[in-house]
Amino acid sequence: MEDALVLKDVCKVYGDREAVRNLSFSVQPGKIFGLIGPNGAGKTTTLRMICTILRVTSGTIEVCGHNVMKEGALVRKDISYLPEDAGAYKELTGRTYLKFMARFFSPEKDFDGMMARGLHIANLGDRIDSKVSTYSKGMMRRLLIARAIMPEPKVAIMDEITSGLDVMNAYEIRELVRQIAQAGVTVLISSHNMFEVESLCDRVGMINHGELVLCGTPAELKEQFAARNLEEVFIKAVKA
Amino acid sequence: MSALTNIVSKELRELLTPGTILSVVVVVVMLGILGTALSGEVESTATPSDIGIVYDDTGMYSEQMQDDLAYGYAAVYGTTTDAATDHMIYLTVAETDSDAILQAITDRGLAYVIVIPSALSANIAVEQTTSASVYYIYENSGLFDDVSSSAANSVVYYAANQLSQQLTGEITGEAAAAFLAAPLAASGGTYTQINGTLYSDIAPSTISTSMMSQTLMVPLIVMIVIIMVGSVVISSMGSEKENKTLETLLTVPIRRTTIVTGKLLAAAICGLIYGIAYMIGMLLYMRGLTTATTLDGTADLAAFGLTMTGTDWILLMVLLFLAIFAALGICMILGAFTKNYKMAQTMIMPVSILAIIPMFVFMFMSWDGLGTVGQALMFLIPFTHPMMAMNNLIFGNYTLIAAGAAYLVVFDVIMIWLTVRIYNSDILITGIDQTKTARTLKRLFGKKKHHDDEQ
Repeated sequence: MEDALVLKDVCKVYGDREAVRNLSFSVQPGKIFGLIGPNGAGKTTTLRMICTILRVTSGTIEVCGHNVMKEGALVRKDISYLPEDAGAYKELTGRTYLKFMARFFSPEKDFDGMMARGLHIANLGDRIDSKVSTYSKGMMRRLLIARAIMPEPKVAIMDEITSGLDVMNAYEIRELVRQIAQAGVTVLISSHNMFEVESLCDRVGMINHGELVLCGTPAELKEQFAARNLEEVFIKAVKA
Repeated sequence: MSALTNIVSKELRELLTPGTILSVVVVVVMLGILGTALSGEVESTATPSDIGIVYDDTGMYSEQMQDDLAYGYAAVYGTTTDAATDHMIYLTVAETDSDAILQAITDRGLAYVIVIPSALSANIAVEQTTSASVYYIYENSGLFDDVSSSAANSVVYYAANQLSQQLTGEITGEAAAAFLAAPLAASGGTYTQINGTLYSDIAPSTISTSMMSQTLMVPLIVMIVIIMVGSVVISSMGSEKENKTLETLLTVPIRRTTIVTGKLLAAAICGLIYGIAYMIGMLLYMRGLTTATTLDGTADLAAFGLTMTGTDWILLMVLLFLAIFAALGICMILGAFTKNYKMAQTMIMPVSILAIIPMFVFMFMSWDGLGTVGQALMFLIPFTHPMMAMNNLIFGNYTLIAAGAAYLVVFDVIMIWLTVRIYNSDILITGIDQTKTARTLKRLFGKKKHHDDEQ
């Protein structure tokens, strides 16, 4: 089966500094891939290049067979991106925000179907008709995940999905990610939460100083570093 | 360091950014330039200018009157009487031939023409006051353009005084005192040509005052609308970046041009609604003002053909819309460099400055009074065009209106093109900090700092 996401020798240069260096990895359809690494390692830059927000300096990125630099519009039809600490338009209600976003995918995708799915995933009850500015962090995150999932993207790219959430909200959102992957959506997440990555991801890639230093299943990585968990793997890899 | 000093120091570091300091410096420099330009305008209206005299008297007081007029000119303009003679051009036209007088004003570039009836000597002999008239051509309004109106009356007044002193002793009798009080008066009528038509009993100063009360409002409204709409757009960009809604928007399957055009159009429509609302307010204000001030001795401009037609109002709105679009284009570009809502608040400063400068200039000066360099600079500022449009439309200067509209269209297209280019580049997300030039400058002059993007 063709990989849903393929990065080959990807470089990103800011002025005279390389933020990402010869990055290569791939993700199979319906799998969850976790991108880990210290702050400033180049994770967000990588996600933004995949999402067509940043230009690739060299190398290629293909999403569902489409080159992000040459076929940006087609790539954007297949992906959904959830930035870290993202918000929504504060003057809109949760429902109007979902409607606003769903209209960009309509009529190619069924508007009513998207809305029904979005409302179900958000699961905000009556509060869906409250202004977004009144939402708690957990409610906001659920709304944004609903927005990201409702158009049924082929690839969902999520940056720090549970950052700052309480245990209950974080658990619910992780379950949601598992469900969408089971439904066939390819998921690429970036996270500092090693427990989350270990429990959620089929494969993990670690970036340090813009380079991919590790890649494999959590079990393989733990075995490679003789570590009890992914956190130990991370620390040993960074120190090495 | 005390807690208070610590807080003050931190607040000052946040408030006094290079951007805010630069904007303050620019305002100070611009006000200085404006002051210099204004002093030039005041000086130009007060400096001796050529005036015309129609006086064809062969009587015994003819030469004396000419000396008295030179004295009057010297007293008003602060020159010697010899210099005054050089500035006073005696015209050989009939005193009732208004066409020839107005032609002479145009041909010789005269500020005005004083007509002293040829019957002056004869009138003195019978102790009868002679009435002088003054002719003007009203071309444009500026705060200082009405100086010449009062100057003409003053020349006649000083000349009459001088004549009166010279006649004292010569003329005696019961009626002498009354006659000597005013052997000559500027009571023969004030004639002003406005837009090609000659009107009597109206001085340029009266027209100028009435014009100013109306045209002053347009620059003010344009400035308010541009700053308001610009502020909304930049703040919206700052807010979108802070909440990362822009990042989300950039990943939905639509063209970047659609995002740019959508944002611009919405803000421009919003700006036009503000503009129209303020214009309606201004019309109501003008109606009230006209009723109130006509009683006060100022002119009903409609009586002199100085009104805006329906087409003129449409043209003004078109220019306003194009200028708002230009402002929004600049704001979208500036907004691309903001990182958050707070930074966006200071980024509006360049647009505010560009709106305030022409507003001040056209409050005090006319287009014609700017000089070539001033005109070129003002023309380049896109917000100038709706600000001076009312004056130009009233006086039929459609060439300047058309040139302004064409410039604004070109300016707007360039702004949209630039905005789309920026929306397609990394700068929108990473800011200018990550460009090669910025990084080189930072390495040379600044501290090393990680960008928050590099996670």
